[in-house]
Amino acid sequence: MAKRITIDPMTRIEGHLKIEVEIENGKVKDAWSTGTMARGFEALLLGKDPRDAPYVVSRFCGICFSVHQVASARALEAAFGAQVPPGGAHLRNLIMGAEYIYDHMLHFYHLSALDYIDIMAVADYQGKDRELNNVKGRIMELVRQNDVYPLLPRYKPDEYCVSDPEAAISAVKHYLDALRMQVRAKNMGAIWGARTPHYQSIVVGGFTQYPDLNQVARFRSMLDDLNVFVTEIYIPDVMAFGTGPLLPLAKAGLGAGHLNYIAYGSGAGALDESGNRLFKPGVIKGFKDPSTMKIEPFDQKKITESVHSSWYKKDAPKHPYEGEQVFDLDRENAYSFVKSPRYENTPMELGPFARALIDQNPTILDLIKNQGFRPGVVARHAARALETKRLISAMYRWLDELTEEMLKPGFKIHDKEHWEPPAEGEGVGFFEAPRGALGHWVRIKDHKIANYQAVVPSTWMSSPRDEHGQRGQYEEALIGVPVPDPENPINIVRVIRSFDPCMACAVHLIDPRTNEIRRFTVE
Amino acid sequence: MNSFDNLSRRDFVKLCGTIAAAVGLSDLFSIEQIANALESAAKKPPVIWLEGQDCAGCTHSLISLEDPTPWTFILDEVSIRYHETIMAAAGSLAEKSKEDAIKEGGYILIVEGSIPEADDRFCTVGGRTFKDILIEASRKAEVIICAGSCSSFGGIPAATPSKGVPVSKIITDKPIINLSTCPVHMDHITGTILYYLLTRKVPPLDKHKRPLMYFGSYIHDNCRRRAHFDAEEFLTDWNDPDQKDWCLYEMGCKGTETYSDCPIRKWNNGISFCIDAGAPCQGCAEPGFYPGFSPLYKSI
Repeated sequence: MAKRITIDPMTRIEGHLKIEVEIENGKVKDAWSTGTMARGFEALLLGKDPRDAPYVVSRFCGICFSVHQVASARALEAAFGAQVPPGGAHLRNLIMGAEYIYDHMLHFYHLSALDYIDIMAVADYQGKDRELNNVKGRIMELVRQNDVYPLLPRYKPDEYCVSDPEAAISAVKHYLDALRMQVRAKNMGAIWGARTPHYQSIVVGGFTQYPDLNQVARFRSMLDDLNVFVTEIYIPDVMAFGTGPLLPLAKAGLGAGHLNYIAYGSGAGALDESGNRLFKPGVIKGFKDPSTMKIEPFDQKKITESVHSSWYKKDAPKHPYEGEQVFDLDRENAYSFVKSPRYENTPMELGPFARALIDQNPTILDLIKNQGFRPGVVARHAARALETKRLISAMYRWLDELTEEMLKPGFKIHDKEHWEPPAEGEGVGFFEAPRGALGHWVRIKDHKIANYQAVVPSTWMSSPRDEHGQRGQYEEALIGVPVPDPENPINIVRVIRSFDPCMACAVHLIDPRTNEIRRFTVE
Repeated sequence: MNSFDNLSRRDFVKLCGTIAAAVGLSDLFSIEQIANALESAAKKPPVIWLEGQDCAGCTHSLISLEDPTPWTFILDEVSIRYHETIMAAAGSLAEKSKEDAIKEGGYILIVEGSIPEADDRFCTVGGRTFKDILIEASRKAEVIICAGSCSSFGGIPAATPSKGVPVSKIITDKPIINLSTCPVHMDHITGTILYYLLTRKVPPLDKHKRPLMYFGSYIHDNCRRRAHFDAEEFLTDWNDPDQKDWCLYEMGCKGTETYSDCPIRKWNNGISFCIDAGAPCQGCAEPGFYPGFSPLYKSI
């Protein structure tokens, strides 16, 4: 007999998500993913000065704000004919890098790790380490007060949770250390971003803050601290979990879902505005193993969006720039505010693991070939950690290049010549955001925004079924997942959190009253 | 408070001093007062944090303080019974934690995000509309703190098709404190909670229910570029090193109309704030933000 359970709210993610599953014989037989909140951002931008857009779209999301600012600025720069000078590009890269670091680190320790640690095992720690005993003392004090919120209540730990007292207490200590380190990364972003979250200094054509060498030195010293933490704590923790207690989950490919991957990696070079692409574009369909993996070129014209199961007026799937949707909250069989983007009608996975495959990251390929990892929850965490280190290495390079630029005569951070909005224009901005490939499209008419559209990574992955009955990636990833105790669906939350859902980003659609938004195609 | 037991009294008093200085309470209370109040609390005050039409930016701001660390605040100072982004529990287990706290009553209710007025179904959690959840949670709340522009004034969602409205439009029978920057300032939220814990009173507020201790003067009045405004030196080119500290009025700065102590306090542990970064103040603390201040980069 199938049993249906609902997890709503799906916590420790960004935004509002409901997950429903049907369980039969201790395994998930079917699944439904529902975005339960909508605002309607693009409609707000219609008729506005285009230069407002990067500032406003930052508020799609309070975690990954700068990627929206930059994708928006790039779309507008294409429309304005603006060129970001190298100084402005480096400054943008550096504060986006700061966001990436805290986003990934926070995702592992503060949003995910509690699903993998038996936090109460710290009670049995008998070692002599002073700092670890301090951690034990604090946790035990909370227990004595009978007030361990918000760490309890929780799902019951299962056999994959770290329960060895020594390992558990180190993990709890790292949870606390990471809380301090994510503050460091936010401080670092604020050096040139004004404040974190919601940077202020990214504008069409470049950057607003004229940097000085003291700031470079300050940024570098914070980056050094973060580098030590990521290299010596974060990556080893993820690897120790992944090749230790979680190895059976890694080998079983828990939460793999559709084995299709996409990265845009486009624009002036994903993340790296200075020209060198940090992430490559590409598409992989039906991944089996690295030796037979085929990477096809990415072509944005092959993207369509379906509203088959979404709370919008019924419409056929369209290229995102051609479709029109109107909210319809009463529509039968619809179950989400999220639309269903597809690539050649195929549901895709985006984000760190997709990028690692498309970039043929040697460490990830080695984990697959020699450690028996399969795509899924554990591989996603590993790819995210390794990517953080790549970012940091790139940031050191960008800092050096920025310093060189600053010493040149005529150092520039902004394209002043193209600051005024053109009468007409259109443009697209691509970006590899922490959660995956991101695109913003804009059309300008009479110096104002005539159309605005963003297609966001979490939309792809949290999407509901399309007209072919194909599930979105969250839904597909849940099929077959073991849930021995329906009261304790810990594997379900592990699978969903491994994607790092960002639901406020995923739902940000259009005007239900006027149906005014017309889409356009960008060649 | 008990969980500070493993600190010496000297360390503890020092910590209280750090907290008070960080969040701007050191002029209002002596360190001894703060230490005594925290120590004598029988149990940690419960907090329910609700997220409506939000972006989680205010949550991220909350965990951005360096000293006291987010850990000190989240685990030692208050008892966070419900916070979707932070709590270990999910689904019905999370909802039960909230229901239990509501039954007990006497909690601080913090709200991030607006409430959709166009149709309640634009925001649901646990199968219930956010509006219902807010009304229920407000009944036994001692005080409601609105974190950020969306819950204070409707914020950016106010101008979207879902028509986000502030908490004060839905709840009219409870004391409400609006901390209206976008996102909420990390010091403002921490300091306001501490102020309330110390006094059990709402701090003196302005007509928009914002604490005067944080929103008592215009940004313009404390701006370090003020002398350039008076000298009519206005930045018009971000590339020009000679102009880099000039007044941003011509670039669209709203500091002349915006109440907040940003220029004194700055953001992210004193590192910077909008105007220091050459970016005009966009009036995020004011009612009417954002559409009332558009176009953002033109002088008002």
